[in-house]
Amino acid sequence: MLETLQLMGQGFISALSILNLLAMIGGVALGIVIGCLPGLSAAMGVALMLPLTFTMPADTGLIVLGAIYCGAIFGGSISAILIHTPGTPASAATAIEGYQMTLNGQAGKALATACWSSFWGGLLSCISLYFFAPMLAQLALKFMSAEKFWLGIFGLTIIAGVSSKSIVKGLMSGALGLIISTIGLDPIDGTKRFMFGQAFLAEGINTTCALIGLFSMSQVFILAEKEIKKRAKAAKFSDKIALTKAERKKIRPTIIRSWIIGNIIGILPGAGASIACFMGYNSAKQFSKSKEEFGHGAIEGVAGSESANNAVTGGSLIPMLTLGIPGESVTAVLMGGLIIQGLAPGPELFTKHAAMTYTFFAGFVLVQFFMLAIGMIGCRGFAQISRLSDAILIPCVTVLCVIGSYAIHKNMSDVVVMLIFGALGYLMRKFDLNTAAVAKRACGAHSVSAMGT
Amino acid sequence: MKMKKTDIGVVAFMYAVCAFFYVYSFDLSESSKSYPIFTIVLLFGLTTLYLIQMIIAAKKYGVESGADKVFAGFLPKQFILSLVLTIVYFFLIKYLGFFTATTLFMIASFIYLKVPVLHSVIALVSMDLLIYLAFVLFLGVRLPAGILI
Repeated sequence: MLETLQLMGQGFISALSILNLLAMIGGVALGIVIGCLPGLSAAMGVALMLPLTFTMPADTGLIVLGAIYCGAIFGGSISAILIHTPGTPASAATAIEGYQMTLNGQAGKALATACWSSFWGGLLSCISLYFFAPMLAQLALKFMSAEKFWLGIFGLTIIAGVSSKSIVKGLMSGALGLIISTIGLDPIDGTKRFMFGQAFLAEGINTTCALIGLFSMSQVFILAEKEIKKRAKAAKFSDKIALTKAERKKIRPTIIRSWIIGNIIGILPGAGASIACFMGYNSAKQFSKSKEEFGHGAIEGVAGSESANNAVTGGSLIPMLTLGIPGESVTAVLMGGLIIQGLAPGPELFTKHAAMTYTFFAGFVLVQFFMLAIGMIGCRGFAQISRLSDAILIPCVTVLCVIGSYAIHKNMSDVVVMLIFGALGYLMRKFDLNTAAVAKRACGAHSVSAMGT
Repeated sequence: MKMKKTDIGVVAFMYAVCAFFYVYSFDLSESSKSYPIFTIVLLFGLTTLYLIQMIIAAKKYGVESGADKVFAGFLPKQFILSLVLTIVYFFLIKYLGFFTATTLFMIASFIYLKVPVLHSVIALVSMDLLIYLAFVLFLGVRLPAGILI
């Protein structure tokens, strides 16, 4: 217990270094920009930023990715409130009441509610991250090869099964990922497997290239196939971005309820922020003393949705960090970020690499404060960014995908891998297959090594 | 739920993946092929299970195209051109260098996608600057230099 408290304190000291603070500010700002742009997702943003974290210390790199994650989940609410278009699916429920508030001339209040609720949702989710993650890691320490193998199988089935429209299709995606993970040198005897004469495949499919392709390049293809529509002008608003004491008191129970909902959904693999926001919204409506306000701009509706979706962030990190089971796409990409830094998800993160892990946790707490500050101050500016056309995003994101995958080994072969995975990701999304399951299996072969030993 | 014709493509693709990796597994030694074969059999089994589900759905509820949903709002010309531009961009990097190829790719895309000139210029300059600062200065990446730069 004392040791844990010491690690927590040390984590905060490390997280407060200038580099980490800059990483938090930059990550949150970038995340909000990504989140408020309809068409771009949190997973895509995190995947695109993976190459930039290579040269950073592991804790700083993870803080950047975590900050982008939190920022993007909150950022989606800005476009949901001001242009009635959720920036990410996680803010779909926010658009219902948020836009009504904008029409009522209360856009500032709606944005302030979103900021405040996201902050509390995210901050409270850190409590479970601090307390449940080490407990689960303790349990995972007792796992031997057989348990690890079955855990791998469980992870595969739960992600593939729960988050896909068809369970069998989800499992097929996971199995496809398993086949892809066999490319490269055999980890047991070093035999070349499915390398097709390409030396760069010796270490298997490059994690970053696969993730950029599956989550970012595939999104470019999705954007490129549809008519490029002019975005609605963000509503101008003159009211202050602030909440009164009475309003803060009014939304308090909603925030607490939504935090619990979001946190549980986050911990459960397969569910995610897009489900949590609707559950948070529904519970806010159900328990509200002023139900008649719902549908006409209810402040509790915005609070319920935003608190729940941000409460998912901390919760979803728990199974990923302790058991290597990413609950959704973003955590699958974050897991890639860990692997790139040479760290394997699992109990070792809480023993051998505990200092790094607790610095990341502390950074995750501080990120919530930066999100509140940047969100409150920069809402008006971010609202203008949300109008950026897909016609500009398509070539810009393509260039970032190419440079991001090239930068890893300074090799054009990696760009080819990224493009192949981009095409694969695009087709998988079109035909309701599960990209997260492929990413998880293709990039992290937990059960593979366990099975071989 | 009706069987979707588009899912035939999914099944065919998965079987093709199984066949492809199975053929290549002939070259592997006995010890190193056991795990790949396990994964191939797993995918084959799941694909067959899905095929059976499709057949049952077709018999019970009938068949629908599914293409209307998959390709809703699909603009083939725009999609193919974007794809071609990306591939051409990839090859141009080798010959013209990264910055020249990127500039040409972005200009061509902006013109095709009808982005206003001012927005194009701002986006182009911002991207080149971002790449230079983040990748060349911060990460120290030596970008491909072609015949121009």
